[in-house]
Amino acid sequence: MEYDKILSEILGRNDFLVVGKNIVRTDALDKALGKARYTADYIPKGTTLLKVYRSTVPHALIKNVDTAEALEVPGVEAIYTGADVTGNNQIGYALPDQPFLNDKKVHFIGDPIALVCARDEYALENAFQKISVEYEELPAMLDIDASLSEDAVYIHEGGNIALTTRIRKGDAEKGFSEADVEVEETYWSPYQEHMYLETEAAYAVPESGKVTVICNGQSPFLVREKVAHVLGWSLNQVRIIQALTGGAFGGKDDQGPVVAAYAAFAATKLGKPVAHVWDRTESVSYSNKRFPARIKYRSGATEEGKVTAVEVDITLECGAYANRAPFWLWRQTAHAAGPYEVDNCSVDGRAVYTNKVYGGSFRGFGDLALHFAAESQMERLAYELDMDPIEFRLRNVLRVGSRTTCDQVLDHSVGIEQCLKAVRDASDWSNHREPVWEGSKVRGYGVGLAYHGISTSRGTPDWSAASILLNQDGSVTYRTGIVEIGQGSPFGHVKIVSEIIGVPPENIRIELPDTDSTLNAKPTHGSRGLMLGGTAAAKAAIRLRENMASCAAELFEIPSERVQLSDGRAYDKENSETSISVRELAEEMYNRGYDPGAYGYFKAPKRFFDPETGLGVNYSVYTFAATVAEVEVDTETGEASVLRVWPAMDCGKAIDPLMVEGQIEGAISQGMGFALMENMELKDGLVINPGFKDYIVPSSMDTPQIEPSIIVEEPYRHGAFGAKGVGEPAIISVVPTITNAIHHATGLWFNAIPVRPWTMYKALKEAEP
Amino acid sequence: MEVSFELNGEPVTVTVEPYVSLLDMLRGEMGVKSVKKGCEQGECGACTLLIDGAPVTSCLVLAPQVEGRHVTTIEGLEKNSLMIDLREAFIENGAVQCGFCTPGMLMSAYALLRDNPHPSMDEVKMGIEGNICRCTGYTKIIEAILDAVERIAPE
Amino acid sequence: MRPLPKFQYHAPKTLAEAVELMNTLDNAKPVIGGTDLVPLLREAACRPSHLVDLNNVAELNYVREEDGFICIGATTTHSQVAASELMRKAPAVVDAVSRIGSPQIRNRGSVAGNLCNASPAADSAPPLLVYDAEVEIVSGDETAIIPLPELFAGPKINSLEPNELVTEIRFPVPPESSSSSFKRIARRKAFTLSMVSAAAYVEMEGGVCTEARVAFGSVAETPIRAPGVEELLAGKELDSQTISDAEEAAKQGVAPITDVRGTAEYRKAMCGVLLRRALNTAVGRLS
Repeated sequence: MEYDKILSEILGRNDFLVVGKNIVRTDALDKALGKARYTADYIPKGTTLLKVYRSTVPHALIKNVDTAEALEVPGVEAIYTGADVTGNNQIGYALPDQPFLNDKKVHFIGDPIALVCARDEYALENAFQKISVEYEELPAMLDIDASLSEDAVYIHEGGNIALTTRIRKGDAEKGFSEADVEVEETYWSPYQEHMYLETEAAYAVPESGKVTVICNGQSPFLVREKVAHVLGWSLNQVRIIQALTGGAFGGKDDQGPVVAAYAAFAATKLGKPVAHVWDRTESVSYSNKRFPARIKYRSGATEEGKVTAVEVDITLECGAYANRAPFWLWRQTAHAAGPYEVDNCSVDGRAVYTNKVYGGSFRGFGDLALHFAAESQMERLAYELDMDPIEFRLRNVLRVGSRTTCDQVLDHSVGIEQCLKAVRDASDWSNHREPVWEGSKVRGYGVGLAYHGISTSRGTPDWSAASILLNQDGSVTYRTGIVEIGQGSPFGHVKIVSEIIGVPPENIRIELPDTDSTLNAKPTHGSRGLMLGGTAAAKAAIRLRENMASCAAELFEIPSERVQLSDGRAYDKENSETSISVRELAEEMYNRGYDPGAYGYFKAPKRFFDPETGLGVNYSVYTFAATVAEVEVDTETGEASVLRVWPAMDCGKAIDPLMVEGQIEGAISQGMGFALMENMELKDGLVINPGFKDYIVPSSMDTPQIEPSIIVEEPYRHGAFGAKGVGEPAIISVVPTITNAIHHATGLWFNAIPVRPWTMYKALKEAEP
Repeated sequence: MEVSFELNGEPVTVTVEPYVSLLDMLRGEMGVKSVKKGCEQGECGACTLLIDGAPVTSCLVLAPQVEGRHVTTIEGLEKNSLMIDLREAFIENGAVQCGFCTPGMLMSAYALLRDNPHPSMDEVKMGIEGNICRCTGYTKIIEAILDAVERIAPE
Repeated sequence: MRPLPKFQYHAPKTLAEAVELMNTLDNAKPVIGGTDLVPLLREAACRPSHLVDLNNVAELNYVREEDGFICIGATTTHSQVAASELMRKAPAVVDAVSRIGSPQIRNRGSVAGNLCNASPAADSAPPLLVYDAEVEIVSGDETAIIPLPELFAGPKINSLEPNELVTEIRFPVPPESSSSSFKRIARRKAFTLSMVSAAAYVEMEGGVCTEARVAFGSVAETPIRAPGVEELLAGKELDSQTISDAEEAAKQGVAPITDVRGTAEYRKAMCGVLLRRALNTAVGRLS
């Protein structure tokens, strides 16, 4: 069925009740009252504490781990090492390169070696001081070039290249021969830290043959899988309850399983509950970061402004483990030309291990680094051709019928052109073509585009599931495995359900994802929470609606097509006097044998991907975005301020415009931070700024004036009411929008971020005649 | 040692070691979970509460330092009319996403509007500059605070 | 991060009690706001056995004018100093303390504590240096007064003996013909350590600068005065050439380091820029 047509085809009406309107999210009140509970809030006083003992050197063989003295410390209850793992000592995501507890070698400063359980932090501190590890240090590969050099030392067996990717579409050299101008640059995009306000946490409670873990994360079923794997247990022996999560941005998708596994393992070994909460220093130093990437990009275009070829070479820095690298690098590879139709694309990628904290999921999942490069290239081409940057982009943007980098034909739902024109007009772009000076400050305008394939890629089977229970009193219980991490997707599902079964959102309660009773919705990542999860919710709601309508039809003695469900009642469309409250209807359903529960399983349409060529239908659908920003540079101090941003996004259908806007505004802040102030500082593999003090994220004072988000709706056939994902597309264009604006203002090109005041200042000075 | 103070208007006495932070005393000994732990370095504002009416980061306050003081957490302002206006404004303006920064943010916003009922946008931004939010980008929080200004019933 | 060390806690109610405690306890540290001390304790950078909390010593909390000096009691917070009517006579001080840290930090942290922490980036230092501030130090039976620069022994090292307490910071009431300004640059617009800061104090008469005092933060091991720049300005009209010369002299006179908060070259250059801006603002305040 075409899910974008639910309103007309299934509900038989033209007006929405709740979808597309700003409805107060039902979880906001408890959060604002301070009553919302996050993982650490569940931990009872006196619970055994767990802390991970970690490597203090970046690359070494472990010769010996001596815990004897530490075990004597009063209050220490146990210390576990790799030798104690009776299940599987492996927790790697895509590749089996990541031991749960390292007993052979260490691969970065922070690599886990032992789990120390004690009654309080003082016992932990004393124990840590008494553990001694004998290392045989190996040369540390502290950057990509070291890892790739001829005399590099292998970090993992098989070499320092974790994987490679490749796309050949058309004939790049031929494309370049047709070009009138050519630009080639190398771009560097570093680590970024999520800095979610709530740190990683897990609370594990064992019982005979089972363990329950309350933890923060993004994929309860992934967590369950990894915990069961480490323990060597069946899936039904592990229960994961995904608590309300205080920000995640991808990081907790990766850390959730790891942190839960530590707690679960220790709890089952000890036979008592264990609490494991990371402090900020641990979170910044050891949790996965955005993968750094070096992208060499060559582009060619004709005088008329048509891009004829791109040749892209991506080197992704994995850090110590590959983790998400295969998916990340493939995403970059498949998106390499940017949201443009380029007939000739040659893309090569490789993911390289280094002895540093490892990379992993972070909002955008590779598309930020890629678009920083791609959109900087488009800007350079525009300037080479002396064309307006927006005009030039309009000549190349993807449209319905276009083929993407991986030769995927976009047969519908392509709103990039509307987005670009919308921000062009909203920002009055044509009247701001010259930089404007005021004293030592100069202002410029920049544009950036983005596209982002929603959910998982490369033909990986993609599906989701949800369940709804209409209780006897008309209240509704909704279960989804999609996690509430702040983005509001579960509430988006509730709106979808509410729209379909007519029960107001405040009467639909969302239960926490619990692997014992919730259906596997697959992870909350890839911006799929609403799109896939919501469509599963729609399927369930449609099923339930059928039963509700049939029961009401029986009661009203009318055909079920005449039954309307809204405002918590069932009506006869042709005679609104004939109605029944959902409470009464529910009671009748139970008594008359109409199934009050419904389950929806939604599988995304099959996609095809050829790993040899890298071509195929890589993603179900793409969300498109465009941003224009006005940036001011103080040429005396090098400080850049983002003054105004105009954002636009084609998200298919905004289930809740206020929440979509909230995602866009939050993403602009994170993107701005990445472009101008955030930087992981590492010295010899050690993170030396492991806190808010020196890892600078935007504060309220840095907030630009963000104009109302322009929402373009090009509905996606297989998303409930046409919805596509939002959370990641919102961040992807932000960095190049800002750097393009800086270029407009100052004439400076920056191929690396962040552009901090001293970097800008130095470039300004060097550019002086 | 014993620390006697007023928590949300109620006198309390807690037996606690002096080297426990106010944050840990509230969350650990007293079960007040609304005060959040984000960094323990006074840098994120998630643990913000009021001591004698002034917003402070409770992670930097030692438990015995509240002896004889008035400590207010968000529970203590639940029925306060200014906080009600702020809370409703936050909720209706989409200023709450993951919610982890929210209690601390509301405490800072409350103190701001209590002392300056008609702040400019810059003053609003300055009033919450000690509270980091990673989800909203602050825009809707700032809008919510300015909206709350409009809702405050005239005296 | 470590748990706080298991210190014993003392809360004297009078200065005499506090002094006695500091004199008799071994390995004791005073605490007021704790905004620097508590993070240091968590980093295990120091491990005191005793903390002497001065917050209940009411006699140490004041901003007042006395004997020709403006005096700030040791426990007076940044917020209190920023709100003080009297402190408007020293605008650079208000510039600094009204923007140090965050509102939460300003409500707890004291000016005295900021100075005793002796970070080269202490924002309250450059303004107080240009006001020729002095520090009153009490220990046992003795009271000593030292010029503020002597409090700073090195980066995050003060010159106090273990039993000494700072009780007051004071500076001469500035003449009506004077003004000042404090400027800083940081990695974002709020609540982060200064990359470079500058304070300028000028006394003007008939369009001529009769006295100039200049101080910088974050460009040396301690906050510093810049006598070379001051000499250049004294007795001159502060026209653009003079200010430009002062800017150059400021840059030449400092040897900052490169760290996570900025490069040495940048800091040098910013000394000049901030000095110029501070001078312009200070002069502007007089008209």
